[in-house]
Amino acid sequence: MIDSTSLPSPDDPEEALAAVVALRRMADKLERLAVANAIRQGWSWTQVADALGVSKQAAHKRLAGTLHSNDIPE
Amino acid sequence: MLRMLMQRINDMRTIKSLCQGAERHANADGQQAPGLEHFVLAALDLPDGTARKAFERIGANPDAFRQGIVEQYENALKGIGIDAPQPTSMQHQADGISPAKGLYQSRPQVQAFMQQLANRKKADAGAPLLGAHVIEVIASFQHGVASRTLATMGIDRHRLVDAARMEAGEVRADALAG
Repeated sequence: MIDSTSLPSPDDPEEALAAVVALRRMADKLERLAVANAIRQGWSWTQVADALGVSKQAAHKRLAGTLHSNDIPE
Repeated sequence: MLRMLMQRINDMRTIKSLCQGAERHANADGQQAPGLEHFVLAALDLPDGTARKAFERIGANPDAFRQGIVEQYENALKGIGIDAPQPTSMQHQADGISPAKGLYQSRPQVQAFMQQLANRKKADAGAPLLGAHVIEVIASFQHGVASRTLATMGIDRHRLVDAARMEAGEVRADALAG
């Protein structure tokens, strides 16, 4: 959990926005890794979508292209 | 006339190489659409060598740019009390992604960059499009990952703009003399 007192001050937008970009990148990476593992373990896109709280179409559209071909079942 | 035509063809090849290189660097970085930082890396790969020379003119190491990108992300996370995760073998798998299918994708800042690069190139009519032009335009952007990377490396981006302009100017002078 991030200590809210350590968040950059909105008065320093450069630092705050840099943190947003870095967090987003870290979250994207974690999401990609977790989805690749889920698909490899046999999860369906519907299960992945439910776990992420998005529609199956949205999950597939956004993430299927980022997976390596050996992660995607025939 | 023929020379102008040949140069235009060569410039188009340079743009193609730049865009493909940026996409490759973005994919290796786990991102689908390249940002300006990936265009810097692609410019450093160009065979004309002027992007590298621009960095070297101000005593900066062009090979340190890739690590600079990593460090600026780490610094941004440290600013909110997060230590960047140590890479594991599984995380390495998530680093690289497959190239996107279909139309070329880029971030909005890249579209502004391409427009500015075209304008910059017009000012150097008669000379080839160079990696130095790319560095000059990107270093003029005040915000974003590329700008923060330069700051992390201790590079004054205004000095880099001047160095890149000088580098391109020398090549232009040689081209016009030849």
